[in-house]
Amino acid sequence: MENIMLPEPHKILSVLKETKAEYTFRVEYHGETRHGQFFQLSIPKVGEAPISVSGSGDGYVEFTIRKVGRLTQGVFGLQSGDTLFMRGPYGKPFPVEQFKGKDLVVICGGTGMAPVKTMLNHFCDHPEEINSLHLIAGFKDMDCVLFTGELEKFRAQEKFHTVYALDNSSAPGFEAGMVTAHIPKVPFGEFADYNVAIVGPPVMMRFAALECLKNGAAEDKIWVSFERKMSCALGKCGHCKINETYVCLEGPVFNYSFAKGLFD
Amino acid sequence: MMISKLDNASRGQMYALLSRLYRAEVDGELLDALKALALPQAEGALAEGYALLKNYLDSCGENALEELAVDYANLFLAAGSADGAAAIPCESVYTSPKRIFMQDAWEDVSRRYAGKGLGRDGAVNDLHEDHLALELEFMTWLVEHGSPEEQADFLSTHLLDWVPAFAADIEKYARWDFYKAVGRITAAFLALEGEFLSTLVSGGARQSRSFSVRADRMAPIFTRLKEKYRIFAPKRFPGRGPKGGDLIRYGRIDAITDVVYNEKAHFSAKEVFYPVSQTMLYFNGDHCTEKELEDDKGILLFVRPCDINAIRRLDQIFLHNGQPDLYYARMREKVKLILLECREGFENCFCVSMGSNVAWDYAAAVRIDDICALTEICDEELLPYFQDEVPIEFAPEFVEENRRAARPPRIDSRERLGQVCQLDYWNQFDDGCIACGGCNTVCPTCSCFDTVDIIYNETSRDGERRRVWSSCMLRDFTQTAGGGMARKTQGANMRFKVLHKMYDYKARFGVEHMCVGCGRCIDRCPKGIDYLDAVNGLTDALAGGKGDG
Repeated sequence: MENIMLPEPHKILSVLKETKAEYTFRVEYHGETRHGQFFQLSIPKVGEAPISVSGSGDGYVEFTIRKVGRLTQGVFGLQSGDTLFMRGPYGKPFPVEQFKGKDLVVICGGTGMAPVKTMLNHFCDHPEEINSLHLIAGFKDMDCVLFTGELEKFRAQEKFHTVYALDNSSAPGFEAGMVTAHIPKVPFGEFADYNVAIVGPPVMMRFAALECLKNGAAEDKIWVSFERKMSCALGKCGHCKINETYVCLEGPVFNYSFAKGLFD
Repeated sequence: MMISKLDNASRGQMYALLSRLYRAEVDGELLDALKALALPQAEGALAEGYALLKNYLDSCGENALEELAVDYANLFLAAGSADGAAAIPCESVYTSPKRIFMQDAWEDVSRRYAGKGLGRDGAVNDLHEDHLALELEFMTWLVEHGSPEEQADFLSTHLLDWVPAFAADIEKYARWDFYKAVGRITAAFLALEGEFLSTLVSGGARQSRSFSVRADRMAPIFTRLKEKYRIFAPKRFPGRGPKGGDLIRYGRIDAITDVVYNEKAHFSAKEVFYPVSQTMLYFNGDHCTEKELEDDKGILLFVRPCDINAIRRLDQIFLHNGQPDLYYARMREKVKLILLECREGFENCFCVSMGSNVAWDYAAAVRIDDICALTEICDEELLPYFQDEVPIEFAPEFVEENRRAARPPRIDSRERLGQVCQLDYWNQFDDGCIACGGCNTVCPTCSCFDTVDIIYNETSRDGERRRVWSSCMLRDFTQTAGGGMARKTQGANMRFKVLHKMYDYKARFGVEHMCVGCGRCIDRCPKGIDYLDAVNGLTDALAGGKGDG
């Protein structure tokens, strides 16, 4: 029987400091991943945690990890050339095939951009596959802004309509206010067909979804991605279970019409 | 695969398929599946049924789904029929004097379902309990979980009592051959099942032999068994229990006299094959290697019926929820279950109300007293150890009544579930529960774990990963690496636990609740929180509309 709990060693190719608290680790990897999937990363001296793929390319995947709490501390001692143990990829991805040829709205807060970033890059590089893409990305303040280079790349793409926002302040290129304050700018009424992807902290996702509904979006057009504690990501450890749903097996991406009925 | 030989898997599949055929109209998916089925060899009426079915499926045209929907409605729903030219698939209609719904047969099958902890699930199902689809579904369940005696009894008392007449009506009133074939197959299959089960029950196809073994004669048997097996049973650890008393917990035993057979064990049997802490793998620099098993010895495990039922639930999580877990599987497959007869139950037991007072899936069963042990040996590998003992008639008896009973809440829709989750009822546990997790630790069905990496020293990266039991009642059970926490109060944790044991598991896997009613969590709670009161209190709160405000 295959040992599905056994991680494999992968070489760290580079470590990029995104902010004071967030680092992106580029790790050698030659398999396929799909947009919104995650790996179980072994954090030295701690244990495993599910981390979303924030970037991918020829021969590598990237993980953007926030330095909070004791759990992720251990990873910050790692440097390029070191080995990182991991297993995956896991989880149901965003149904990107369903998004093609339509309008797409992406709303994300903070590190919530990580799980949607490979999808954003895909459509930025293949703009012919979508009608339009509205991106609302919120950050706490300028010190917390992630992926600066890619934010500019998305801003420059003609098919993309970007709003970058800071919670309590504004700055050149960044408007003030929570992401919810910018949702009314999305012309839902003009879309022939569309989808909405929302990723961020639970409260942000809830209010962003409600705001989308208020602005005319339909429940079943909205997709959310859950972040949960997982010790196995294989339907065994029980941490990610909500009602009869295992986020690791059935998620982390859910249609909102289903997700709204999950009670924690 | 349809029935070609009478193994349990194909019997269960046949019941499930027939159940589906009567439950609702044929849809495209089912029609395609039927067309793709390789019909097995059969004889007599069953072969005729198969031939008729194959003929219809081979020759049906584009309108097949419509034809079948019309025939289904006419036959089984009596659509457009005022003259009784229909075959109503409900037992009461065939067995009650006035040919009406919900009579004695309906009452009896409802009681039998409830006795197994089975009931209506969700809003999916608006059929009467004695609808053929549900009776067949119950047989599917019995094939997997029930004894041959129970299967034979339900088949002869119910299905065989009315299905032949019902099938004859299909033959008379069906417009197309499809349902005629289904009716013939059903009747023929059930008849074969009747013969099969009666041979099984009367001829003792459950190949067991029973012996009486005096305590002194058990010693050499144990010595021989220990060459091949480690033997675990509830065992006394003096002075290590709660409040200075003795602890009864699973441990290796050397003699049958070590088995504590007349007290409830404080801990369940799960720790024998799913240890509290278990090394999974070692990190050596840039490599990681699986921890291997130390030897290939088997395990004999003395367990009560509730524990056997609990182990099936653990199997469900570790082996059938997603891909199977190697660490669990390789220990579990070593285990032979020895049923420790339990005729009385103990304080706080409510196994009867959970349908887990009875178990059939064991390698041997024992009734122990101070003088001797009566043993029923089902597993051939164990027979040689006992065959020189005194043959007797013995089969274990089961507790039939507990002092306490669970009344699980009826939650039949997502809206209802939402209401249940948002009840103020749960707030009472915010302050009462101290989040010790003891209830989870003693629970025979709790399966959750954490993984912990141990590094051997600060400067190296050598170490090991262990998995350690976790507990949904611990405050940080849902805390993520990023600091987020899904459930923040003990009330919310209590709600999660109660619903997991009395709703979620069954909603996900069907058939049975996770809780087996051993009552250990009640025995254990240092704050006197009574899980059964919490369950029944919820049911009452829902019934009375209390707890909302």
